[in-house]
Amino acid sequence: MNGLQWFFPEKLDVVPELLKRDGIVPHAGGTFLIKTGMKKVKGLIDLANLPLDIFHDSNGFIEIGSTSTFSGIVEKMSSNNADSILVKSLGQAASTPLRNRITIGGSIASFPIWSDAMGPLIALDAEVSLIGAVEGFFSIVRYVTERELRKETLIKSVRFKSEKWDSYYFRATRTQFDYPAFNITVLCKRLDNVIKDIRIVIVGNRKKFVRITGLEEKLMNVKTDDADIPVIVRDIDIEFAAKKLGSADYIKQLAGIELERGINRILRSK
Amino acid sequence: MKAIFRINGQEKELSFDSRATLLTVLRENGCTEVKEGCNAGECGACLVLLDGKPVNSCQIFAASIGSKEITTINGIGDIHSPHPIQEAFVDTGAVQCGFCTPGMILAAYSLLEENPEPTDDEIKRALDGNICRCTGYVKIIDAIRLASKRMRENE
Repeated sequence: MNGLQWFFPEKLDVVPELLKRDGIVPHAGGTFLIKTGMKKVKGLIDLANLPLDIFHDSNGFIEIGSTSTFSGIVEKMSSNNADSILVKSLGQAASTPLRNRITIGGSIASFPIWSDAMGPLIALDAEVSLIGAVEGFFSIVRYVTERELRKETLIKSVRFKSEKWDSYYFRATRTQFDYPAFNITVLCKRLDNVIKDIRIVIVGNRKKFVRITGLEEKLMNVKTDDADIPVIVRDIDIEFAAKKLGSADYIKQLAGIELERGINRILRSK
Repeated sequence: MKAIFRINGQEKELSFDSRATLLTVLRENGCTEVKEGCNAGECGACLVLLDGKPVNSCQIFAASIGSKEITTINGIGDIHSPHPIQEAFVDTGAVQCGFCTPGMILAAYSLLEENPEPTDDEIKRALDGNICRCTGYVKIIDAIRLASKRMRENE
């Protein structure tokens, strides 16, 4: 195996040129890169000296720098909004020592199927700020689905609207430390017991992730006391692959039950 | 490649492979108190403190450490001058084979630095990245509770 070339830029403006080179990729926490073996990687751009570990809550948006660790985000979000979906999801991810290394930018860029970050960020309609071959803010769904946005680019930050949501997060694991077979994110806003906005995302299915807009539409403007959740949820049809947690059919059934429980929990909460 | 590492308060210039993990570099340079377990970030045997925060040294490229301070178990106490957490592990019988103990004690050290009087749930959460195959964790949690009490009494 050949040696790696390391770059330690101190200014962001030199990064785009480095990204153009063959086999050179960004390095933040490094956990995903080590796990995957980096067969095609020839060099790493270490992001530690760049001003990317930021957390801003201003002008109606929360903006988190890409080298922010899960632990750091949980700490900052907890003082800002302890009930935030990101506190629930990132606070449960992996383990304490790994949460001290896993970064939000690395998680978005690599999007492992067990990601505890992506469901909440998709539900929050987050946007990523890119530099490199493509620059500007782009929806996170576009980023993960359009290859051109990931080619020779660096995620500078991720931002989403600073709003209060009722939220539910479920990760399907055999033990706390396990990689989730799937996870469910539900965000909901109610006014006078009527659902005014609801977002439901499942990560870990055959399509990697799905926002269940059909179910969201059925639940919009429904009175929370009237909503017949089991009937509504029964209609959804999401395919899973067999995993260590169980067969494809078992996981599908489990996802349906946990989704029903999650929506019920939110709608019945005060 | 070469870099200067700050290990337990001492600066050392070390040569290492550009793909090497921090665990490999530490062990190849005498820090064998940092244990190699799963090499997948799951067991916590290789846990060290990086600027005071617990991390899995098997999941970090040595090249990326920069000027951060690395603390291994030898950095908080030794057999001649043990740390209260180390003493508490011995006193409560929390050490059996001992392979997980350096990581466990460093995770506990980091917890007690931030939270001198943790609840049992907070102790369990702080140890969520450390696996012990001998003790069943009861004695380990007893040890951290005892260390917390002694450290507060001696303040």
